[in-house]
Amino acid sequence: MSARQAIQVGTKTVKPVLSSSQGEARSRVLSLYKAWYRQIPYLVKDFDIPKSDEQCRAKLKEIFLKNKDVTDIRVIDILVIKGQMELKESVKMWKQKGHIMAYFKPTEEPKPKDFLSKFFSSNE
Amino acid sequence: MSFLFNRTVSSGRSLGRIVFNNAKAPLVQRVATKTDQATPAVETRPTVAKLDPLQKSQLIDFGKYVAECLPKYVQKVQITAGNELEVLIPSEAVIPVLQFLKDHHNAQFANLVDIAGMDVPSRPNRFEIIYNLLSLRYNARIRVKTYTDELTPVDSACEVFKAANWYEREIWDMFGVFFANHPDLRRILTDYGFEGHPFRKDFPLSGYVEVRYDDEQKRVVVEPLELAQEFRRFELSAPWEQFPNFRSNPAAEEVVNPGEDKPKQE
Repeated sequence: MSARQAIQVGTKTVKPVLSSSQGEARSRVLSLYKAWYRQIPYLVKDFDIPKSDEQCRAKLKEIFLKNKDVTDIRVIDILVIKGQMELKESVKMWKQKGHIMAYFKPTEEPKPKDFLSKFFSSNE
Repeated sequence: MSFLFNRTVSSGRSLGRIVFNNAKAPLVQRVATKTDQATPAVETRPTVAKLDPLQKSQLIDFGKYVAECLPKYVQKVQITAGNELEVLIPSEAVIPVLQFLKDHHNAQFANLVDIAGMDVPSRPNRFEIIYNLLSLRYNARIRVKTYTDELTPVDSACEVFKAANWYEREIWDMFGVFFANHPDLRRILTDYGFEGHPFRKDFPLSGYVEVRYDDEQKRVVVEPLELAQEFRRFELSAPWEQFPNFRSNPAAEEVVNPGEDKPKQE
């Protein structure tokens, strides 16, 4: 009993969400990426958004690469599940134009980086 | 003349009655408080729920019975608030325990009243999932509690209770607890594109984004929210004691705790 407890201190056995190995998680991510990629022309046409296919593909790549440093398989699985849910919401037209355009953030102004622009944008 | 006499007499009577009542009322109250002190077990206040010792002993017996029937799954059985039976189980035991409580002849908890969630970030398993069950056959209620963290999936109770479908979607949306084998797990309360899970304790009160109508875009736009207020540590605890009545009696009393060496006798 005590030996088993001593072993469990270092490693923790966890229940997998979907994938049991790194490769399986990777293939899930790639298939989700492909599904989004193939859906882009239809999304542009159906939602009538003022963006081209190329811009949408660049945005898709950007959103996927935002999580490129995630290594935990379970976190990857949860992110894939959320991505699949979003794809379904888009394909079934549950979302509206504004929800799709929210990915592009047209009204957001980039934060001031250098000293002078910070100074100009500050209230004081 | 006689009419006037009658009036005065009647008014005198009523006056006398008022005086008599006034004199008697404190006497009755004093007697009542004395009996209260003599037998504190009997609850006489009309606004406080009366404790039924028979019902409580039946609940204790049933709790012990459940713990004996499912020794692999039941971690603890407790009674809270006097007469509410709670069964505490690990997250992989949800389906067998709910199936047992639903189908066993002496339980017949056929109704799933609600599924609730609770977030305590300081615990190793920060989320508690709470199933409230009702047995119409025996006029009894039971509460099944399990625990999980952000990444551990809980088995969906949909195959046992059809009612669990939307409740689990609500838990997924509000807490981000993933339910494995759920037939249709998606958001139910938040807007499409909403990020985060609002009932988590680390979700800020103002949210991460704000939504407004933009005149140039002719559309509702989502923008990240910047708090005008600086970070400060709110002191939320009051200087006085909030629940002095609960100082001595603990919220939950254990019925069975197999985690210790032997079941504790009540």
